Amino acid sequence: MRNDLRRLLDAATTAAREATWLGLRRRRTTALYYVARDGAFEQAISGFDDGVMVEVMVDGRFAYGATPDMSPEGVSRAALSALTAAKAAAGRSIHSFDLSVRPPATARYETSRTRKTSRAPDDVFAFLLNACGALKVSDEIIQTTALVEVGQYDYEIVSTNGADIEQTIHYMGSSLQAVARRGDVVQLRTANGPRGLTRQGGWELLDTDAMIADARRIGLEAVELLGADTCPSGRRTLVLMPDQMMLQIHESVGHPLELDRILGDERNYAGGSFVKAADFGTFQYGSKLMNISYDPTVAGELASYGADEIGNLAKKELLIKDGILVRGLGSLESQARSGLKGVANQRATSWNRPPIDRMANLNLEPGTTSFDAMIGSIEKGILMSSNRSWSIDDYRNKFQFGCEYGRLIEHGKLTKTVRDPNYRGISRTFWRNLSAVGDRSTFAAFGTPNCGKGEPNQVIFVGHASPVCAFDDVEVFGGGK
Amino acid sequence: MKVDFKAHFEGVATLALAELLPGERAAIGYAAERTYFMRFNNGLVRQSGTVEQSDLSIKLWKGAKTYSVQVALSGNLEVDERRVAGAISDARAVMPLLPDDPFQAIPESAESSDARYAGSLLPEAEIPARVLEPAKGLDFTGIFSQGQMCRAAANSAGARHWFQTETFLVDYSAWLANGRAVKSSYAGRDWSDAEYASRLQATRQSLGNLDKPEKVLDPGKYRAFISADALNEVVTFFSWNGFGERGIRQGESAYIAMREGRESLSPHFSFSQDFSIGVQPAFNEEGELSPECLPIVTKGKIENTIVSSRTAKQYGITSNGASDGEDVRSVSIVAGELAEADALKALGTGVYISNFHYLNWSDVQAARVTGMTRFSCLWVENGSIVGPIKDMRWDESLYNMLGAKLEAVTRERHLLVESMTYDHRQVGGNLLPGILVDGLSFTL
Repeated sequence: MRNDLRRLLDAATTAAREATWLGLRRRRTTALYYVARDGAFEQAISGFDDGVMVEVMVDGRFAYGATPDMSPEGVSRAALSALTAAKAAAGRSIHSFDLSVRPPATARYETSRTRKTSRAPDDVFAFLLNACGALKVSDEIIQTTALVEVGQYDYEIVSTNGADIEQTIHYMGSSLQAVARRGDVVQLRTANGPRGLTRQGGWELLDTDAMIADARRIGLEAVELLGADTCPSGRRTLVLMPDQMMLQIHESVGHPLELDRILGDERNYAGGSFVKAADFGTFQYGSKLMNISYDPTVAGELASYGADEIGNLAKKELLIKDGILVRGLGSLESQARSGLKGVANQRATSWNRPPIDRMANLNLEPGTTSFDAMIGSIEKGILMSSNRSWSIDDYRNKFQFGCEYGRLIEHGKLTKTVRDPNYRGISRTFWRNLSAVGDRSTFAAFGTPNCGKGEPNQVIFVGHASPVCAFDDVEVFGGGK
Repeated sequence: MKVDFKAHFEGVATLALAELLPGERAAIGYAAERTYFMRFNNGLVRQSGTVEQSDLSIKLWKGAKTYSVQVALSGNLEVDERRVAGAISDARAVMPLLPDDPFQAIPESAESSDARYAGSLLPEAEIPARVLEPAKGLDFTGIFSQGQMCRAAANSAGARHWFQTETFLVDYSAWLANGRAVKSSYAGRDWSDAEYASRLQATRQSLGNLDKPEKVLDPGKYRAFISADALNEVVTFFSWNGFGERGIRQGESAYIAMREGRESLSPHFSFSQDFSIGVQPAFNEEGELSPECLPIVTKGKIENTIVSSRTAKQYGITSNGASDGEDVRSVSIVAGELAEADALKALGTGVYISNFHYLNWSDVQAARVTGMTRFSCLWVENGSIVGPIKDMRWDESLYNMLGAKLEAVTRERHLLVESMTYDHRQVGGNLLPGILVDGLSFTL
């Protein structure tokens, strides 16, 4: 092992002899975060984190002790603390687990990178300052912000039954933002919504020429929105670009399919689900065009990995096939509790939180409709892109989402730009009205580092890839008091 | 051996400040905790364990350069001294490559403070029994947490602050088979089995209101009594695109129209950032103190905004000790005249809102927020509870909810302690009344 975690496992095992099984899960994180605002330095931050979660099993019950003290003594104390917690729960555990939920897996995973050497801070800031300049296309732009975040996560897992896992995730995120004002109208435009541009990879992701061109477009669109009418109210066909499909899939498909929500674990915080255990195999979630996959194997998508954090090897699975719900987003633990089929998705935000059911990469498979054909087939519609608002009920039924940028579709053509576009609906009705799925030429992958869930609370990386999609008969509306 | 966090902070802070070279300045923030978590579902333990952690933030200034470092600490002073020394060395190598910081604000504050609150917490080996046994018979779901939390700050001007508290929180909901639930919590420093049992008894009684036929509302405008718990979700929007000075000047605040006199809140609505409510320290990560009480909105008009030293430097105004994010901390909404006991009578016919869920801006510039009702929201007719409502989406401008449509504010206020645990157990809380609103817009 790179960090001699096996030696620490021996120390923990010696300290907690009453445990029938022990596992260690180490997570080391390094990150850099550079921000420019209005063409000047704003922030430069470096971060470092390192620690280990010791997990013990006693009579079918798991408990944990998490510590940043990586000495044998520190890990032994954490093991004893975990042992105390496991013993205290005797007779009150939600399930009696066996070691089938802690497989003795061996896995190695590292993000594929084409450019492994980093760029110097002055080089990165030169780009960020240029990006601010490109965003400021007129005096009506009152604020510009450009951000780059780059980091690395190293995971290691060992256990007394032989798990041996090492994974290294390299990622980069960027954000470009322009705020424009004319009189009382203020509009914000970003590159693909708040933190939507986060991907796995190396420094090749910092494609400065493309990003400068995108910054200019964002600035122009922010100013364009100042003169646009507010989005009209009414029902029409809604076309969503992939950077909004990310949010739509995440909130109205991903979360309701998490088995821990269906089992009730999240009822006190994030919420339950309108999906019931009995729905798997028969429930019509969406139209026949809807095919949703859990796919941790997509190169570059943010939540790709080789194994989850209890050692279950990851592979692609279809969750919704031709509109029918066939599989849930549930880990080995949730599968044991529910008897349902699941995936390898028990993940944690870091060493200081226990893994729970998470989304990973959740994608909508491409269809066959070209973008032009999709728009050409719509008599009365609206296209929306880049998320700016998201809200959904605790069962994941009634949602309301907003976008930064809208364009009306009239008689098969994209016409005028509208500002403050919002839409709302009910998840199953919305997805059953999925009327067109774009072909692979419209397909794009995005990711966000900010999916929140769990008690204690955790944020985690998720990736979502989707083609452009059209939904019939959606209630849309604009802003204003 | 458990880490003595105070000695640990003194050790790493002293080292970091002593390592500074001539011309260098630094501010040091510190957060630490030792926490026992027990997550439960259906009255049974889902996950339990302990987390011990501490981390240090160092902001360094030299000439016109500014750089921040965040370092997780091991708890072992020898190891951590090496980590901190390495982080400062690395920072020195990077700083010459950064652009100048035009709004560099180096703290000059040199005050000190030391606040420590001991608690009487549960023995760890007894936690499942003491928390879950009294809830027997309930479908009881949520999280118990307890332990010590510390926050500290120091800077090269001489400031040195320490805040330490030992607290517990049972954040729970109790569910009926019909999918309805009552949400509640029991929090404090000194655990009392009797007080906890009393809280659970109140929960059992409240469940009685939910075992009635569900009222399905049509979209439209309804009179609504918004409880302090529900209003706590709205208070988030005082910070997010909120009353920070920078956001107002740079187009991201929802309250630009209010600042420019085009909008106002109700003359019955006032709130302050008030650290006298005693749940979080008044110092920020750079060792700067905020005034104990800072009125933000008085009788519907902005009296002060939240101003960091950086913003103060940028715009030539005065800082009030805010952190860089310019969040409002320890919100205290001024009490009104409506007795809580008269709330249903004053509501007449409408919705009693116990909790909101998943709020977000639907139009920032119009201060318009959308969200859901959740848990035990009730339909009330002529001052009497009829039964639970089917959860509804609402979409309303705060200029209406807290402005033209605000009819009354309760006389009683409730201290709602922070329950978030992202990264760390977070300190803080708000002192809030309930409010009566005439014509809240329900949309779906």
